[in-house]
Amino acid sequence: MTVLDLPSEAPVPVVAPGVTMRSLSEEVGEPNLRPKTPLWWWISFGFSLSLLLVLVVAVIWTLDKSVGAWGINIPVAWGLAIVDYVWWIAAASGATFLSSMFYLTRSPWRTATHRIADAVAIACSASAGIMPIMHLGRQGLFYWLFPYSNVMGVWPQVRSPLWWDFISLLCYIIAATFYFYVGLLPDLATMRDLARDRRQQLFYGVLALGWRGSSQDWAYFRFVYLIMAAVMAPMVVVVHGVVGLDFAGGLTPGWHSTQFPPYFFFGALLFGFALVIMLTILIRAAYGLDDILTEYHLNAMAKVVLVASLLLAYAYLWEGFGAIYGSDIAERTMFLNRISGLYASCYWAKIALNVIIPQLLWFPGFRRSQLLLFAISLGIAVGSWLDPYVVIVQSLHRNYMPSEWGNYYPTFWDWALFAGSIGLALTLFLLMLRLLPIVSIAQLRRIVKSAGAP
Amino acid sequence: MSELHEYGLIGVFDNPEALKAAARHLRRSGFRAVEAYSPYPVEGLDEILHPAPEWRWRLLPLVIFGAAVLAACWGYFIQWWDEALNYPINVGGRPLNSWPAFIVGTVQFTLLVTIAACTFVLLLGCRLPRLYHPIFNADAFGRASVDRFVLCIEARDQGFDPEYLRCIFENHGAEHVAEVPGT
Repeated sequence: MTVLDLPSEAPVPVVAPGVTMRSLSEEVGEPNLRPKTPLWWWISFGFSLSLLLVLVVAVIWTLDKSVGAWGINIPVAWGLAIVDYVWWIAAASGATFLSSMFYLTRSPWRTATHRIADAVAIACSASAGIMPIMHLGRQGLFYWLFPYSNVMGVWPQVRSPLWWDFISLLCYIIAATFYFYVGLLPDLATMRDLARDRRQQLFYGVLALGWRGSSQDWAYFRFVYLIMAAVMAPMVVVVHGVVGLDFAGGLTPGWHSTQFPPYFFFGALLFGFALVIMLTILIRAAYGLDDILTEYHLNAMAKVVLVASLLLAYAYLWEGFGAIYGSDIAERTMFLNRISGLYASCYWAKIALNVIIPQLLWFPGFRRSQLLLFAISLGIAVGSWLDPYVVIVQSLHRNYMPSEWGNYYPTFWDWALFAGSIGLALTLFLLMLRLLPIVSIAQLRRIVKSAGAP
Repeated sequence: MSELHEYGLIGVFDNPEALKAAARHLRRSGFRAVEAYSPYPVEGLDEILHPAPEWRWRLLPLVIFGAAVLAACWGYFIQWWDEALNYPINVGGRPLNSWPAFIVGTVQFTLLVTIAACTFVLLLGCRLPRLYHPIFNADAFGRASVDRFVLCIEARDQGFDPEYLRCIFENHGAEHVAEVPGT
């Protein structure tokens, strides 16, 4: 054995010692294959489906009344729709970063959790995608953003960060779907072979495309998957960085800062991981996957959350330092208003939820307790929503001239769109949870094998 | 070779080392139509079974890189053509070919095409989608995607001799040897 070999056993077992390759496949496949859907799934699905109906109504109402149905106006022309957009795309980018970056670092805890992260990325980017379209005002003309040859001879203005945002999100959603599906292919073949009736065999058999797991299949799979992970990691950095550029490109005080792309990406990292932690805790409880999604995974992800929280703290510190140290009176006024004005409660809440409370994760006890970890992650989810809310609404309500100061009051339809987007993401995620293996069986087998199980 | 009543013979192993030993043995004895099916990628197995076409692994990165370069050129070109030639708009006196503004679209389009190229390389390389394959007729094949390692030698191989091969499989510790019916 050379020193370059990976340690065959982690100090804490990645999966519980009793797990074998057979029990792994059966345990993960069982919830998808059993004919009876559990009650908790129907309850959650009913809940999310009713939220989805709220979305449908809110979208129809917005299409009819246009954005006048919302509370936005001059000066606060960007409201909850954009806040929600930043929030959802943060979740998606952070989750995909978990799945891709930590594949490249060969982190063992990534293996069992990356399917959850990939599913989160797909579900959240669907919710993210509808927000900018709803915000357009003339939603029916959204396809003008595509650079396509048309009889009007009109082309999009590709110098605008808002167009960069559109093209980034579009490319990302398609790429994330490819990445999700390729990673799923060997597991679909396992499901096909474990299927109990003809219906399941057809469903998984067609989806698996006839994957056989031959030595050549695997050689191609490993080759291709490595490149895909290496491409997805920078891609999501660009996606959320460009969301930051939307703001950095604007002249509004509080936005016009070069630190926005990394600052937003740190936020995405924090929220994406927090969301995957929450879902991991719920799924291991609901499906009884304690021996596969072990405390090792939660512990490792909690440490990354801690790192992301510190990175975000750096961005927050720099935000304050730049405003106070700089000579721009508007920037300084804006920042002082941010920490003491009308939205000070939101500002301090996001500092507490994103930076201060996650510091508890330095203590192993907090990383070990699922309840506390879940509570901290939920706090981060709220804080991650308040973050763009403060950046967008608070910055816009105090622009350069006092004559253009004004407030923003979200209407019922603002909130309905937000609640509905949760319904859309949740519905998609629950469907994937029911139909697809939520833990990557094929990739986890190598870990089960190296743990010494037969 | 006129009519094939069987697709081949499989040996089922319970660990990858035995499978690799058997595969090595078969290759050394001159068998060529050999393929292994495993629940996870077995290190070094592909080199044993398909040692010859190493050029493929040198070529494929170039293919994917070529796709990425083409995508970058096209992504930049379409933006340049749009802003500088077809629909020029003067924004604050900035040059019409304002290349820094075209980078984001170019990068994202390049990365998307790279991902798509990877997916198509996988599908072409593995000859997917192919919903039916004779190996699915093997009763033990279902376990090759769960916890067993299956070595299959196809009947079209010149030296195919079921009795002899059965001995080889069993000598290497195969827990089960079976014939695979053909189409």
